[in-house]
Amino acid sequence: MSLVLGHLRPNRISSGSLITMLFALVVMTFAPNLLAEDILIKNAKIHTVSEQGVLLQSDIYISDGYIMNVGKSLSPTGNYKVIDATGKTVTPGLSNPMTQLGLEEISAAPSTVDYATENKRHTASFAIYPAINMYSTLVPHNRINGLTRAIVQPLSPDNVFQGSGASIALVSNESGLLKESVAQFVNYGIAGSEAAGGSKASAYAVIDKALEEANYLRNNRTRYEPGFDWHFSLSVDDLDALKPVLERQIPMVVSANRRSDILQMVKLADKHSVNIIIAGAAEAWTVADQLARAKIPVMFDPMQNVPASFDSLAVRLDAAAILSEAGVELIIGFASSHNAYLVRQSAANAVANGLSEDKALEALTINPAKYFGIENYGRIAIGMEADLVIWDGPPFEITSSADAVIIKGEEQPMVSRSTRLRDRYWQPSSKKTTAQSDNSDKEK
Amino acid sequence: MAKKHIYRTRLLFALIVLPLIFSCSSDKTTPKEDVVVEPFPSTYLPESKESYVIEHATVLTGTGKQLEDADVFVENGKIKLVGQNFYVPADVKRYDGNGKWVTPGLIDVHSHLGVYPSPSIESSQDGNEMTNPVTAEVWAEHSVWTQDPVMKLALAGGVTTFQVLPGSGNLIGGRGVTLKNVHSLTVQGMKFPGAPHSLKMACGENPKRVYGEQGIAPSTRMGNVAGYRNAWIEAQAYRLEWDDYLEQTASGETAEQPQRNLRLETLAEVLRGNIMVHNHCYRAEEMMIMIDLAREFNYEIAAFHHAVEAFKITKELAAADICAAVWADWWGFKHEAYDHVKENAAMLENAKACAIIHSDSEIGIQHLNQEAAKSMAAGNKNGLELEPKHVINWITSNPAKAIGVDKLTGSLQEGLMADMVIWSGNPFSIKSKVEKVFIDGVLQFDRESTRRKQLSDFDIGILDPEGNRL
Repeated sequence: MSLVLGHLRPNRISSGSLITMLFALVVMTFAPNLLAEDILIKNAKIHTVSEQGVLLQSDIYISDGYIMNVGKSLSPTGNYKVIDATGKTVTPGLSNPMTQLGLEEISAAPSTVDYATENKRHTASFAIYPAINMYSTLVPHNRINGLTRAIVQPLSPDNVFQGSGASIALVSNESGLLKESVAQFVNYGIAGSEAAGGSKASAYAVIDKALEEANYLRNNRTRYEPGFDWHFSLSVDDLDALKPVLERQIPMVVSANRRSDILQMVKLADKHSVNIIIAGAAEAWTVADQLARAKIPVMFDPMQNVPASFDSLAVRLDAAAILSEAGVELIIGFASSHNAYLVRQSAANAVANGLSEDKALEALTINPAKYFGIENYGRIAIGMEADLVIWDGPPFEITSSADAVIIKGEEQPMVSRSTRLRDRYWQPSSKKTTAQSDNSDKEK
Repeated sequence: MAKKHIYRTRLLFALIVLPLIFSCSSDKTTPKEDVVVEPFPSTYLPESKESYVIEHATVLTGTGKQLEDADVFVENGKIKLVGQNFYVPADVKRYDGNGKWVTPGLIDVHSHLGVYPSPSIESSQDGNEMTNPVTAEVWAEHSVWTQDPVMKLALAGGVTTFQVLPGSGNLIGGRGVTLKNVHSLTVQGMKFPGAPHSLKMACGENPKRVYGEQGIAPSTRMGNVAGYRNAWIEAQAYRLEWDDYLEQTASGETAEQPQRNLRLETLAEVLRGNIMVHNHCYRAEEMMIMIDLAREFNYEIAAFHHAVEAFKITKELAAADICAAVWADWWGFKHEAYDHVKENAAMLENAKACAIIHSDSEIGIQHLNQEAAKSMAAGNKNGLELEPKHVINWITSNPAKAIGVDKLTGSLQEGLMADMVIWSGNPFSIKSKVEKVFIDGVLQFDRESTRRKQLSDFDIGILDPEGNRL
């Protein structure tokens, strides 16, 4: 193992180098096994998701969890593991912002599910991070398929304000929880209507009033001491939870599919001067210009082309390409925890239907990083945390899969409960035999 | 092979001989009602008798072959010739297949199109008659809304045939129906001519939850099995009663026609081998119980659906000649779906079992090729050598076998229905698109031509009075 202090550190992470040194010493003293081996990835095709674009036959040097260098024919000093990636492709680790990872093990078994609350007094202040279990079997299952980061959302159908979500790195220990609160999730559209009593107008009023009251409370906080008689539409805890939204520290992710609902939310965001992300966004392409002008990103699954409700009649398979062309920033998601990694297939379908590969990769990496405040993640560039996937083929080809996954500089074992089950039942003797049909010529 | 032969013979008996017997018998016994085995017969008739040839394409036959630079000659809606260097009359229309791939039309053995249509609203949830754990008397075809817009989306994904099943809330949920993916105002106009009826059965969590929550049986898996067995015992008695009656009238005796019972009529037809059983079943031990149960009552299971644990019993499934219809990667939504491997279909194929990729999804049915591609890649990553010529069977000839239409469609062989897809390239690459879809030789979808972009009634004027959806 090389010494952390032996390497040149990029400026942006070495500010306060004394603190870094102290931290490194502490880590080395108390938990030396946490320090990952240095890695040199050789001869890869690298999608940097930066101005550098795609680099051919290039190397990435990883030390102490960070990308230390990217370029041709790197030969760093010291000890490191070499991964030959000739003929392979490297992308940043992918992310999915639409998951309940760590909050559910078996969806239909309520005792294993923690993403929802029916508590009407626990809405915007419902912060899901304490319930996240980084040891869930879902974490390695998604990790070995190329997912390294995720947003974990509350999913409370009973409330308009669902609560705040967290960001995670897909490692199987407590350090996976990155930020406790990265966004406030809000049900509008049909879900909002149902939560508010049967009309979108009610849902609109709930959101509008809460933001107004939260703002009032924020400016008059000292008057509302415990015991004071208040009359707000939500609890003081809930209104307090909206403070970071009003101060634009975190965005409000609003689910809306219908064109008219999306436009109402655009106006509402302007009225209260808050940052929003439109989630679901089935008909967003029909108002792409308005969204682009308002600089509001959309978060959606491009494969969802079925008019599942009367709110999404205009949904279409090439919406991502249309939105991107109009200048709307995309965050691609796939609403799943067990198979959160299939966000790659969703993005690949967007590419197959006209979205550029670059934009699709941004929508899986740097865009969620930007809007959800995931720091030092989303590009392959010096100073970023080393979250990388080495793919055995083109990253947007359906038959490609991950050969290696590196999270925060650490190469991950390519093992999950699923691969253990596979290996238990695999018949090694027949492993190399060909398939049943047309095997006559092969058996000769 | 022997099994298939029996099916065909029995099927003929059901569709032709039985009505004859009934109509004859009606003269002798003057029953109060006529018994018709197919009271809602298919009215589907292919519209064109055009002949054409697709030239110089890569052809996946659905019989385990990949042919390069091959031609497919279609005559009167049927496949006439597949191969190279055969004579085609000069005046026959030609499609250039250079760089393109041709496969059989895709078949989804598990869909709820029309019975759980889109948009999903309360008044159109017509797939689960959850008022009794055994509702063998209901027929999915009576719920089908033919204007479900997803049917056209599935067509653009290459699906030419799909089975519509009742849901899995009941032990025995009712009859399924196999449809051609053609535009029609009536379900009869979509019904696959000659396809046998099917019966949906369900293991595990769903029925025991639905009825257990109401405090009635079944509330456990053992309650489930007791429920199936009781139903089959009743069906055996009913079949015997009717068979006696038919035998007596056939030999000229006078006999009183027994009272018809729709529930038992369906189950008796299963016991006669005329209806194919499609059994929703996730877990290995439950599938093995169902195999024994089928032996106890002497019926056959065509396929286990959602067979997430099929990889644990691949040899047993191969030996029993039961197909396993699986997803590429769904898991974890229920406890019985917890033991998942991405190699499920590949492991079945490796054991020479009948593997099927099914969708059970409005999204998945549009991308069966992608789902199969993922399963192929998973198997190959672990050392298998699966190729497109094998994997295409999972979404064509194997589902055709499971729904009993493999002698009619599902592969590109002389005399079969010309149900075909022209792809822009290898169908197991995400870059490839469905370019043309033929059903019984008729061009039903053409990506290049707006005239052949099929619309359901639902799609018309709904976004904009003068325009169409999409």
